Amino acid sequence: MASNNHSATEQNTKRHKVEGPKKHIVAFIFSILLTFIAFATVIGGEINKDFIYIILLGTAVLQVFVQMAFWMHMKDRGHRFALIGILTGVFVVFTCVIMAEYWVWW
Amino acid sequence: MSAHTHVEGQLPHEPEKATLEGRNKVLGFWLFLGGETVLFGTLFAAFLALRHQVLDGPTANHLFDLKLVAFATAILLTSSLTSVFAIQAMHQQKVKSLINWLIVTVLLGVGFLILEIYEFVHYVGEGHGFTTSAFSSSFYTLVGFHGAHVLFGIMWITLLIIQLKRKGLTVVTAPKVYVAGMYWHFIDVVWVFIFTVVYLMGKVV
Repeated sequence: MASNNHSATEQNTKRHKVEGPKKHIVAFIFSILLTFIAFATVIGGEINKDFIYIILLGTAVLQVFVQMAFWMHMKDRGHRFALIGILTGVFVVFTCVIMAEYWVWW
Repeated sequence: MSAHTHVEGQLPHEPEKATLEGRNKVLGFWLFLGGETVLFGTLFAAFLALRHQVLDGPTANHLFDLKLVAFATAILLTSSLTSVFAIQAMHQQKVKSLINWLIVTVLLGVGFLILEIYEFVHYVGEGHGFTTSAFSSSFYTLVGFHGAHVLFGIMWITLLIIQLKRKGLTVVTAPKVYVAGMYWHFIDVVWVFIFTVVYLMGKVV
């Protein structure tokens, strides 16, 4: 029994092995890269306006996804209600933005 | 298997999730962030609807300087990384390193705020006051609200640093630090949409 307990704690310490800064630095570099793409598209923008908008929104959404998953630990387990809370907010925001963009100046 | 045994007098590995109160705090804060998303989302919607209504004030394209925005973005992004390092230091129970990273985060936040104040003063000088046009009102409301959140974060984290110095890292103080870190990331996430929707889209003619 005692040895059993001991192995359990050992496993716990193993599983809790502190995570290194590596993946956070990767997330940081990825964010910088996406920001750079967004700025470069606008500054060097001799392309179609709608195409620029798509690139801008794509890089922004991707960057937010990366930051929430890694920096806000969204990818860790036990975040289901957190996800539901945020997604409810995003749903309301989506409705408001569609209304403002396409309905106000009908 | 989930039963953790800990050495007496030592903090658990993830002190912010060690107590029910701590776990509830983190969950409650996520729900609060859902509400904050709605707050900023409605401000974004108002800005999107009004951004072309400039009357005889300056337009977004005429006003914005992308170099300044890029600099502000770099500062805020870096501060988000340093707050991640703070949480990592907390998980390793390195209180001194935790406090130092929090101080760096606060200083970067102050730098961002100074840049934003300089920007606003510059715009007012260009004839872009709060009541100039629907565009200017919605711009200042949206970006100003974000700036107010940065200011609140700076004050909050400063108070946490003082509390950490007084009481040390415990299962009571750890959730506070963790939640403040989440708040700081959220501010950064909102800024991603601000520089995209307000500044970059304003430059696309």
